[in-house]
Amino acid sequence: MAVSSPALREAFAEIVGSGDVLDAPDVLDAHRVDGLRPRWIARPGTVDEVSRLMALAHVERLAVLPRGSGSALALGNPPKRLDIVVDLRRLDAVTDYVPADMVASVEAGISLGTLARQLGEHGQMLALDPPGGSSRSIGGILATNASGPLRFRYGTARDLTLGVRFVQADGTVTWGGARVVKSVTGYDVPKLLVGSFGTLGIIVGATLRLHPKPPARGSWLLAWNAREAAQSFIAALIASSLEPDRVIALNEEAGRAYGCADKKLALLVSIGSVTEAVSSQGEAMSGLARAHGAEVRSVPDSCWEQLDAILAGDVSFRLNSEPRRTVHWLGEVERLASGLDLRVLAVAQPGSGVMHAVVSDQISGTVLDQGLFRPLRAGLAPEGGSLVVERAAADLKENFDVWGPISPDSQAIMSRLKAEFDLDGTLSPGRFVGGL
Amino acid sequence: MTGEPRLGAFDLKDAPSMDGLRACVHCGICLPQCPTYRVLGEEMDSPRGRIYLMRAAAEGRMDLTATMARHLDLCLGCRACESACPSGVPFGHLLEATRAQLASRGVHGTGTDRTTLNLALQWFPYPRRLAPMMRALYAYQRSGLQALVRSLGFLASFRTLRNMEALLPRLPAGNGVPELTPAQGKRRGRAGLLTGCVQRFVYPEVNRDTARLLSAAGYDVVTPREQECCGALHLHAGQLTEFRQMATKFMAAWESDLDVIVVNAAGCGSALKEYGHWLDDGAGSFSSKVRDISEVLLEADLPLGSLGETVTYHDACHLAHGQKIRSEPRQLLKRIPGLVLVELPDSDLCCGSAGVYNLLEPGIADELGRRKVERIRATGARIVVAGNPGCLMQISRHCRAQGLEIEVAHPVSLLARVLGR
Amino acid sequence: MTFPPAFLGELERIVGARGVVSSPEGRLTYEADMHTFHKGIPDVVVLPETAEQVALIVRACRREHVAVVPRGSGTGLIGGAMAPHGGVMIGMNRMNRILELDLANRCATVQPGLINLSLSQATREHGYYFAPDPSSQMVSSIGGNCSTNAGGPHCLKYGITVNHVLGLQVVTGAGELVWLGNKVQDRPGYDLTGVFVGGEGTLGLVTAAIVRLMHVPEAVKTMLASFATLDDASETVSAIIAAGIIPSALELIDDFFVRAIEEGIGAGYPKGAGAVLLIELDGPRAEVEAQAARIVPICRDHAALEIRIAQDEAERALLWKGRKEAAGVVGRLASSWFLQDAVVPRSRLPQIMREMQAISARHGLQIANVFHAGDGNLHPIILYDDRAPGEVDRAKALNEELLQACLALGGSVTGEHGVGLDKNQSLPLQFAAADLNFMARLRRVFDPDGIMNPGKLLPSHPACGEGFRPGPSRIPAGAWV
Repeated sequence: MAVSSPALREAFAEIVGSGDVLDAPDVLDAHRVDGLRPRWIARPGTVDEVSRLMALAHVERLAVLPRGSGSALALGNPPKRLDIVVDLRRLDAVTDYVPADMVASVEAGISLGTLARQLGEHGQMLALDPPGGSSRSIGGILATNASGPLRFRYGTARDLTLGVRFVQADGTVTWGGARVVKSVTGYDVPKLLVGSFGTLGIIVGATLRLHPKPPARGSWLLAWNAREAAQSFIAALIASSLEPDRVIALNEEAGRAYGCADKKLALLVSIGSVTEAVSSQGEAMSGLARAHGAEVRSVPDSCWEQLDAILAGDVSFRLNSEPRRTVHWLGEVERLASGLDLRVLAVAQPGSGVMHAVVSDQISGTVLDQGLFRPLRAGLAPEGGSLVVERAAADLKENFDVWGPISPDSQAIMSRLKAEFDLDGTLSPGRFVGGL
Repeated sequence: MTGEPRLGAFDLKDAPSMDGLRACVHCGICLPQCPTYRVLGEEMDSPRGRIYLMRAAAEGRMDLTATMARHLDLCLGCRACESACPSGVPFGHLLEATRAQLASRGVHGTGTDRTTLNLALQWFPYPRRLAPMMRALYAYQRSGLQALVRSLGFLASFRTLRNMEALLPRLPAGNGVPELTPAQGKRRGRAGLLTGCVQRFVYPEVNRDTARLLSAAGYDVVTPREQECCGALHLHAGQLTEFRQMATKFMAAWESDLDVIVVNAAGCGSALKEYGHWLDDGAGSFSSKVRDISEVLLEADLPLGSLGETVTYHDACHLAHGQKIRSEPRQLLKRIPGLVLVELPDSDLCCGSAGVYNLLEPGIADELGRRKVERIRATGARIVVAGNPGCLMQISRHCRAQGLEIEVAHPVSLLARVLGR
Repeated sequence: MTFPPAFLGELERIVGARGVVSSPEGRLTYEADMHTFHKGIPDVVVLPETAEQVALIVRACRREHVAVVPRGSGTGLIGGAMAPHGGVMIGMNRMNRILELDLANRCATVQPGLINLSLSQATREHGYYFAPDPSSQMVSSIGGNCSTNAGGPHCLKYGITVNHVLGLQVVTGAGELVWLGNKVQDRPGYDLTGVFVGGEGTLGLVTAAIVRLMHVPEAVKTMLASFATLDDASETVSAIIAAGIIPSALELIDDFFVRAIEEGIGAGYPKGAGAVLLIELDGPRAEVEAQAARIVPICRDHAALEIRIAQDEAERALLWKGRKEAAGVVGRLASSWFLQDAVVPRSRLPQIMREMQAISARHGLQIANVFHAGDGNLHPIILYDDRAPGEVDRAKALNEELLQACLALGGSVTGEHGVGLDKNQSLPLQFAAADLNFMARLRRVFDPDGIMNPGKLLPSHPACGEGFRPGPSRIPAGAWV
């Protein structure tokens, strides 16, 4: 390193202000990422500051990790190197919001909860509800393509992000996409940045597509003694013209948290619409569920917020499968877990094939890997599915591959993308698939 | 040719209409409806591509070449594109005008079977020439020779002969229609009846049934012996001079006091209705009297007995696209008590007959025929009806080839079967 | 023909003689898509039938440094499917089958040449359909829809093509034959499928697509509201969206088009109205009824002359036929026309319509409108007579001014037709040099030698020159006659 640490610190302070460069040892310890300790934490207040920080880091060959609320910092391989953490939370403004357009432009550091409150005043919402999302930053949600049950009706962050402002590895401020709902001008750059885990650029702002909040909502808990009956109900529900906005399946362990004792599988369903449609669809759905052997009861909307607590756990992983295989994989997870005498709490979305599972018991990394992750991945691979470990302590992570294998063809193109836009590995080096 | 006024590579006289060519906005909506585009899958064998070539010639970007002629020769002339076109491009007229210019220049499509075409043009539109050949064919069939020839595949190496032979149904004995068939019941008017060049020999019972139905509908039916060919074949082949001569002669065969001139062959009806476009001197008023049999019968209220069959209806191109007649035949069939009409998917996609196209381009015609029969089979119908002799021959032939046992008939045959019961 | 015979022979060995179009007449018919303003004759056209053939062709072209121009049904509006630098045009229309319907996973695997509407026709009996419905859907191909990220009236509620693509098999400009994505909706890594859609053939070709199917809604209500003025109609559009109602389609048709549609197609539109709105609602029956009940008074509040509701499927189909085939009836309005595709934020719709009338008056040419009002996506059609002296230039100037006006209101240079050749010089109006440079480098990742559809999408402008090396065409454009 050509330039000394104190000189670098001074350079950072010149950009963001001395008070927003943190390097006290205890603070740095608290900001370890997978055990690695950064040398500085910088908190820029404007896009220009982010740009200048990155330009400096790039020239000095430093490794940068962007963060928002930090909820997803454990996601990914341990960083190959870590020099400076860039905390985006001071960029927290709503830069443009015209309710009549149902489009909002925000800075990346604003939390989903804060944004939701402002949009709610106009009867609108950003239809994203990742677990624990309320306190998460928009930038973090987009960077990790985090999603929740609302994706059943509204899609994911990739579908809701119209435009993205980001800072490249060398500090260049770049814009991709549009500020209106309909535009096909040039490449769909937002698709590239969303879900890129801060490895191609730091998202500093986004233009988002909004939806009207449904005037009314109803939620129901459906519970079964046998998984097969639940499976046939799910198939019937998906093949029907009913339009719920959230459908999640709870395994036995997760169902317990909702008071379903000894139920093999439970479904939590919500329908959002005008009051008449909520009740008529609710009735139809309940009738269909009962015809498939379910116990049905109406539950308050607050049930959905319980998911945040349910899915908090030391080890969390996510399974992606074909939608029609959701119940099968719930069963597989339970089967393997019981074989290890392990309690696994799993919540799956039959509409998208995405399952979040949490392990709270103490367990060694090797056992997790050999007994759970490997067998699951082996079964998923022929179906094109995957398993990603989203949260685990650094020492556990050493025992397994966080991302799992991806197709060599795709990996080749992804490597070329990373090489094109961040050849020096300034941004989150080593954290992403294939060690990118 | 030098000194004549021009439209690009065309002579201005009888050139394809520039307004018509420019009406094409290149939207491509015609492509999926075009039988040759469906089979060949290339732009120059689609209506959009063919118009593009014609327009390039009219704008002087291109000469009239043998390749261009070939792509136009491959066109069936079914005019499904006209039905699809939102801009109103008059494709049929553009095609015929361009073919005429190619023919008059002696520019022939590379690979087009001109021998067969010329044979057809010299024989089919001339009943006097056709009659003795038909008598010979009748004898050939009755003698058992046809069965022998077919089973031994003797004609295998004579492609055109084989095709013609395969298309020919069993020729009936018996004659045509009397010159005058009086109206029954309350008299509605005087109707002329076209007997058609091929139909009068191959399906004379259709003409007899037509006369019978018209009479029952209250028409005196006049069937002049002098009528020859409407000229459609020559028009479609671009022989404009011959066509105009035949049309003039044809019009002269009819009394001037007829209320309506009835046609039961779609190709003929379509050509007659367009006389006004190609000829002057009263051709327009002649055309305005021409009606398809389905249009006429729909206005009457015939007593019909029941026929408990499942029937499906094939839209002959020159009825559906050429004359915009689709609902009349269907409504007539639905009037027969007990008859169940099942819609035929792609009912208005050409069967491959297209005049003498199935003799000139058997590869494409066979593919279209095969597809048509596949669709017919899938309806489960026991009878398929179509209002054109060419379609009846083509569909019959391919039903036979695919082992589909089904009755193939003209709608008037069904109506006549249950008339008055 | 200026390709070396050995290269032509190689192409012929790959696709067979039937798969090669080399005559001047044949190639001429491929010189333009629906935007005939831009013409460029390919040196040869090949019509492959398998993905492997496509890969071999692209690899051969890359080796010889020859331009590759993909083409679907040739119905694009941006000069995307024509060959300004000659080269090999690859027509995908013969690859037109449905490979698999997977209703349990609500998806279908199809070949790129499959006509959009054919997919919905095949799935409707099972209760499903493919939601992206560009007006060209009765002839445009799925591959073409992916290439331009096509929209259509129903994308207001359901999103555009990219929101309905789960996975793509592609041949990249590098010659790789790869699957990007599959039936599993999420996967670790970058969203390569999402980036590829909308690539306009500059990143590679689609050889198969796994697309989402939607369930046919319980109820559909189609309404036609007519107004005396364009202003009343556009204010109504804004009011409906502001009320929190997202119809499944919200289309505006002006008096020029109403007249032409009635002449050409006869859809039962009320003649004499200044503008009509075609409004469609779909979803659960109670929801549809409630939304319709709220829309009717909104229309009345904005001086609607008449509100008609389609009573059955036949009536609904006829109302839509008028809208869908509007592009075709343009030929009845004028001999020549520019079709513009621009977007403004929907709250600015009334303003842009007023400005448009002023601009039109200033240039002395008429503008006809039929467009997706619900998402602010305009399709002004500038009518002119190319035979009248000076009108072409006035039309072009009007076109430019209109685009600038849309951008000034915070819109976009293209809503759904794409950039192609037509708009690529306009991209710098919307993107800074750094943004264009990012896109140029993105392109290079997929097409390192710049053979894929050169000259399209990105401007050939020094500002984005860094990293983007347009491949020198080995064969100069062959203008013949």
